[in-house]
Amino acid sequence: MSRGSGGGYDRHITIFSPEGRLYQVEYAFKAVKAAGITSIGVRGADSVCVVTQKKVPDKLLDQTSVTHLFPITKYLGLLATGMTADARTLVQQARNEAAEFRFRYGYEMPVDSLARWIADKSQVYTQHAYMRPLGVVAMILGIDEEKGPQLFKCDPAGHFFGHKATSAGGKEQEAINFLEKKMKNDPAFSYEETVQTAISALQSVLQEDFKASEIEVGVVRKEDPLFKVLSTEEIDEHLTAISERLTPSSLTKKSVLINISA
Amino acid sequence: MGDSQYSFSLTTFSPSGKLVQIEHALTAVGSGQTSLGIKAANGVVIATEKKLPSILVDETSVQKIQILTPNIGVVYSGMGPDSRVLVRKSRKQAEQYFRLYKEPIPVTQLVRETATVMQEFTQSGGVRPFGVSLLVAGYDDKGPQLYQVDPSGSYFSWKASAMGKNVSNAKTFLEKRYDEETELDDAVHTAILTLKEGFEGQISGKNIEIGMIDNDKIFRILTPSEIEDYLNEVA
Repeated sequence: MSRGSGGGYDRHITIFSPEGRLYQVEYAFKAVKAAGITSIGVRGADSVCVVTQKKVPDKLLDQTSVTHLFPITKYLGLLATGMTADARTLVQQARNEAAEFRFRYGYEMPVDSLARWIADKSQVYTQHAYMRPLGVVAMILGIDEEKGPQLFKCDPAGHFFGHKATSAGGKEQEAINFLEKKMKNDPAFSYEETVQTAISALQSVLQEDFKASEIEVGVVRKEDPLFKVLSTEEIDEHLTAISERLTPSSLTKKSVLINISA
Repeated sequence: MGDSQYSFSLTTFSPSGKLVQIEHALTAVGSGQTSLGIKAANGVVIATEKKLPSILVDETSVQKIQILTPNIGVVYSGMGPDSRVLVRKSRKQAEQYFRLYKEPIPVTQLVRETATVMQEFTQSGGVRPFGVSLLVAGYDDKGPQLYQVDPSGSYFSWKASAMGKNVSNAKTFLEKRYDEETELDDAVHTAILTLKEGFEGQISGKNIEIGMIDNDKIFRILTPSEIEDYLNEVA
């Protein structure tokens, strides 16, 4: 008779469980959700936008040091959802790899190459017992010379896909349901529509209206392929545009929300 | 490979003589998406389901069937990330063979070397076996060949084979329909029908992948519109 789980270690390191699962990888996914932040990414016709919550748990913290949005090169951005410390390690390694790529091959590392590299590293952690998987889901954005705007998502299991829109974190599934409806007919969003879809998706899923200081927004645009983190003023412009687009029926809903929070 | 702290194998014998980690790896393969391969008289075809987790995923960014050399292709069932590692190692081994012998690697040799890698991960310290089975399709001087490699590192040559969720139905279907004299185009039709057997939802050029190689010895992955043409011929 087989001993089943090999001494019960299948929950501690990345070896197979009797059902053929890797529990450590599944727990890593849970760690991403436990961080309590939701992130959204949307790819438009000529731009990509990522949005995440900015929760500063302590008023004494320096807000400018709390960030999940990292430039990897001038042209590539990375939004990390999950454990902050793991995110910083990943960003550090990604920055190094992208710089070496540029040096070695003489051209900027494309989005999908970086995403593949991150995913392959994550796969190594799922196969070698001495390193645990990272508790981070990474969204990479950039403008590819041939394919245009690209948004990739890499997870602790080592999967990576290109996305038209996606989400990660606590309310991931709700956000994906919302985005599937919006992107059903393959719309070609302009830059403003892309940013506003991303922000309003986050607002809808978390059921709260944000102040500009409560979210982080990162963009890349075909006409300006540098990765940019939007300032609070720029975020405010988009938030205003979203609320002005609301019809009377949804304005009523908004006032209900204001009443509740008052 | 691995840290010295893990210089012991994680895949060890159970009292009954089984290597349970390998069995669990095979279970992981068995819960993966169905894939299959058929060897025809003048070529080989491999195919797989391509079910993506959401409509938001850009299906052009995903390719499950991969080219190892111009005349050898591969498809997997099981854990995608693990398959990427094997594809990378196999490609490198093929290049190293070419550099040394100045001729393309024979299919059997490449399969053997890939299988060796998979076996090493069942015995080395601090690593788990690969959670994939591979179907390698190639055409060299010995003619068309189809090999299946399992997580244990064992491999066999097949006339037709299937792996993944729907393996038993698919294999029964293939056993009934297999004919050694089949031409490649008919084999593609058989492959599509076999996939259709266990397919949930509407089959289309966007949710399956087909790769084939005929006696021009060039492995090709069909575009979604080429797959649609074959689907229309079958329907």
